[in-house]
Amino acid sequence: MRWLILFIAVISSLLLGLAVGEQWINPFAPSHALEKTILWELRFPRLLTAFAVGGMLALAGAWFQVLLGNPLAEPYVLGVAGSASAGAVTGLMLMPESAWAMSVGAFAGAWIGIVTVMLFSRLGANRMLLAGVVLAAFWSAVLALLLALLPEQGLFRAFAWMMGDLSHSDIPVPVLLLAWATALICGLILSRSLDKLLLGERHAEALGVDVKQLRHRLLLLASAVTALAVTAAGTIGFVGLVIPHLMRLLFGSLHRAVLPASAIGGGLLLVLADSAARTIIAPAELPVGILTAIIGVPVFLFLLMRRSG
Amino acid sequence: MNSALKLSNLAVERGGKVLLSELNCDINPGEVIVVLGPNGAGKSSLLLALAGLIPATGAVELFGKPLAGFSRKKLSHKIAWQGALPPTEFGLTVEQRLELAASEDNEAIISIADAMDIKPLLTRPLGELSSGERQRTELAALMLRDTPIWLLDEPTAHLDLKHQIQCMHMLKEERDHGRTIITVLHDIQQAMAVADYLILIDGKGGAEYGTAEQLFASQRLSELFDAPVVTQGSVLVPDYGKRI
Repeated sequence: MRWLILFIAVISSLLLGLAVGEQWINPFAPSHALEKTILWELRFPRLLTAFAVGGMLALAGAWFQVLLGNPLAEPYVLGVAGSASAGAVTGLMLMPESAWAMSVGAFAGAWIGIVTVMLFSRLGANRMLLAGVVLAAFWSAVLALLLALLPEQGLFRAFAWMMGDLSHSDIPVPVLLLAWATALICGLILSRSLDKLLLGERHAEALGVDVKQLRHRLLLLASAVTALAVTAAGTIGFVGLVIPHLMRLLFGSLHRAVLPASAIGGGLLLVLADSAARTIIAPAELPVGILTAIIGVPVFLFLLMRRSG
Repeated sequence: MNSALKLSNLAVERGGKVLLSELNCDINPGEVIVVLGPNGAGKSSLLLALAGLIPATGAVELFGKPLAGFSRKKLSHKIAWQGALPPTEFGLTVEQRLELAASEDNEAIISIADAMDIKPLLTRPLGELSSGERQRTELAALMLRDTPIWLLDEPTAHLDLKHQIQCMHMLKEERDHGRTIITVLHDIQQAMAVADYLILIDGKGGAEYGTAEQLFASQRLSELFDAPVVTQGSVLVPDYGKRI
């Protein structure tokens, strides 16, 4: 039943997302060719991008939470958002006229951040988290420095990207959807080992999990997915932190349910948030990251209170 | 007959401290070995080393093959280790915990949960359980592990009297079915009730292996724990009346 509700919610949100925007369009009966073009060439690819990015962020969040044994972990906890942002701004500084500069810079920056964190992965979950938090502070400082040096005309573009921007993703939609599906399948393959890791590393090992190998795979997978999501849409907070918890409240703690639910739920939240972002002050747009928090926080707190009660 | 576990010159070191050195023993299928010793002596570390969860020097053979040659997965089919579960933050329920033990056979889970008096707790998150309920859950999870060797770290910790007795019976029954059990216990009477052999670890690097008859002596245990142990009839009991 819960899966059916989630599925219906996704379909409804996609239809709503097609309909709303600067002008209302009935997705079942566009009145002329321009409306058809807006629906299927502008809104639909953007909605699919939002769905894939939101789903990947939620998956990465679920993985980082288990990998680090910390419910406060999220995709950006190890500084990947900071390094990707620093990369994006560097790209903007070096090639201000290029449409691809920020994406290429973000992708390179994300991977520089990931490789740096991986050097600390053998230290165990707690120390890796500590190293990640310190690296995040370092990348924030680098980012602040770059922003201070960035010419004024680039600042707006940089800030829009840093708060999440789905208006012009440079990664083709089929690539994002394929990445979403691949990530989910990889996650499902690892799901039983992930469940065992919930019992702590020693218990997981005693139950036959090669924890060291699992941690490496998980770190690589979660980081790759985060890098792709950040490159496609900038840094969008909240989805990766809260969606996995929300899905655990609704679907239980086992990953064979949590991962698909998060992949779908994260997508749903970002589709709704992006639809609101391009409608509320249309024709202008709000940064989608603000709306993910505004929509998601009350929902999450409500469910948390209800569950505790 | 192949021994279930053969330890030759086993030495365990943690944090630069030698916990035990030169432990030699042959442990056969269907034997209960109780590990006794003071706090911090290395009893839990011995179990972890035997489970392949921490490094040790010397040789450990599992059914005639070197322990180091077993992959994690293959080892988990031979040895089940029960230790205190760390706090879990992700809302795992008792039933899900039991599912992870080894079997997804729902009937087996329910029947063992019933035997351990935790059936009404199946849908509760582990974080909401009392220490005793958590311990019973861990014992139920162990019972779902059909491995020839069980390593138990204080299985009766936090249990009330009824469940302590139940746990002791369970160990004896499993031994009678051919299971090899190595267990750390703190209660001398519980140890006397189940032990075929003892491993005494003194916390200074020394370890002694012998039959229960050889090593259950008031003088020996008093020295081991640096505390008075006296004989009352046929049993050994701590002398709670004596100030130390």
